[in-house]
Amino acid sequence: MENITKKIRAVAKQALINKEIDKILGWKKGDLWSESYPVFITKPEDADSLIWDSFCINNLSKYLIKELPKYDKIGIFIKGCDSTSFNQLLKDNRINRENVVLYGIPCEGMVDPEKVKKIMLNDRVTRVKKSENGFTLTNKNTSKDVLGEEIKYDKCLTCTSPNPVVYDQLLGDVVNNNVNREDRFKGVEEIESMTPDERYNFWKGEFQRCLRCNACRDICPACSCVKCVFDNSDAEISGKAKTEGEDTFFHIVRAYHVAGRCVDCGECARICPAGIPLDKLNRKIIKDINEVYGEFNAGLDSTTPAPLVTFKLEDADTFSKQGGK
Amino acid sequence: MSLDTNTNIIDKNEEFKPLIVAFCCNWCSYAGADLAGTSRLNYPANIKIIRVPCSCRVNINFVLRAFQNGADGVVIAGCHPGDCHYSTGNYHTRRRFSLITNLAEYVGVEKERFKVDWISAAEGNKFATVMNDILEDVYKLGPNKKLRDARWKI
Repeated sequence: MENITKKIRAVAKQALINKEIDKILGWKKGDLWSESYPVFITKPEDADSLIWDSFCINNLSKYLIKELPKYDKIGIFIKGCDSTSFNQLLKDNRINRENVVLYGIPCEGMVDPEKVKKIMLNDRVTRVKKSENGFTLTNKNTSKDVLGEEIKYDKCLTCTSPNPVVYDQLLGDVVNNNVNREDRFKGVEEIESMTPDERYNFWKGEFQRCLRCNACRDICPACSCVKCVFDNSDAEISGKAKTEGEDTFFHIVRAYHVAGRCVDCGECARICPAGIPLDKLNRKIIKDINEVYGEFNAGLDSTTPAPLVTFKLEDADTFSKQGGK
Repeated sequence: MSLDTNTNIIDKNEEFKPLIVAFCCNWCSYAGADLAGTSRLNYPANIKIIRVPCSCRVNINFVLRAFQNGADGVVIAGCHPGDCHYSTGNYHTRRRFSLITNLAEYVGVEKERFKVDWISAAEGNKFATVMNDILEDVYKLGPNKKLRDARWKI
C-alpha cells in the first residue's frame, strides 16, 4: 500500500507540473485512523497529502459530473468498482471520456471501521495495518492479527471487479480474487424463499428505519439525473409523510430507477445510516435481468445498451407463461 | 328497529368489495373493454379503468400509488406484442413489467394482485375473463393491507 501511495503522489505531482491535468481527485487521511476523505488537488505541492490505504472507500467518479464543467482536464484515481461507475456515467452521457485521465488502482478490498470497532470494542484502535495474511490492529498497548474477511466491507467480500475495467495508467499489480459472480445473489435467494407475508414484514422492518436522508441516491453512480424526481415537487412523487407505504414507495422506485444501470457497487447499502440492505433490492433486479434477458453486467463497458432501453422481438416475460407473441 | 337488523346492515357494509384498478391502453385494451360492454358481456363493476395512451406510459409510481390509495389489485393491459400503435411501446412494457412484477413479489405483494396482460380491441371476451379472474383471485386473498398509506380511508 505504501508503494502505491508513493506512486500516486509521484504521478499526481508530475501530471500537475506538466499541466497534463488541471485538477486531480484522490484521497487524503482524515484525523482518525478510519477516515480517508476525497480530496481535490490543483497545486503540485499539495500532492504529498494524497494517500492510498484500506479506507479509501469513497467512489470519486461521481464528483466528475460537477467538476468537469469547471476544468478542461481532470485526473482521477479509480478502484475496480469506481471504474464500472465511470463506465456507467459515460454510457449515461454525463461525462466526457476525453476530459478525464484515469489512474487505475487494483483494490484488495476496503476495511469496514464498524467491524474493526466490534472486534476491539473500547480498545481505542490507533492503527490498522495490512499484514501478510490479513490485517494487524494496533492500540496503545497491544496488537491483534485478524483475517481480511473479518473486517472487510460486506460488499468487498463479494466483489467481482477488483481491477479497474477502464484506465489510462495502472498503478500497482493486478489483483486476483476468486469470487463467483453468483455468490452475490445468496442474500436475494434467502428472501425469495420466504412467503409473501414474511417478505413484506422483513422489508417493512428494514424500511421503517429509513430516515429519507437520500444518501443512497446521492452516492449512487447510476442516480445522476440533473433533477431527481424526488426533488421535483411538481412531479408529486415525493411523499414526505413517515408512513410504511411512503418508505416502501421510495425504495422500490429508487431501485427500479437504476434497473439495468446499477453496477452493483454496493455503495447504497454501505452509506445507509440506518443499515438497510438496499443492495438486496438492486441485486434482485440484476438477478432477474440475468435470468430473463441474459447475463448483463452494467459498467463492464460503456457501449452495450442497458436491458431496459432495448428489447428483442422474441423476449420472454415473467407474467405469462408463453411470453406473448 | 331490532338489534338483528342492525347487525345485518353492518355485515352487509363490511362485506369485502375488491377494488381493482386497470390501466388500459387507448388503442387496444380500452377498445376491448368497449367491445365487452357493447357485446353485453359481464364483468365486475369493481374495476376502475384508467385510460393511458400506451401500456408503456404506465409508470411504477402509478402502480404503487394505486396500492397505497386503496386498490386491492392492479391490472395493466396493452396491445399484443407486435401490434403496438406506436410500434415498440409494449415491447418496453414487457421488459419493464417483467422486472416490476418480480420486484413487487419480492417486497411481499402477492403475485395474484398484480397482473399484466395483452388484450386486443377484438378481444372483448378476453377482457371480461381477465377481469373476472383477477377479481376472483383478489377476493380469495382478501383486502390488501400491504403498501397501504395509513392516512387513506375507504
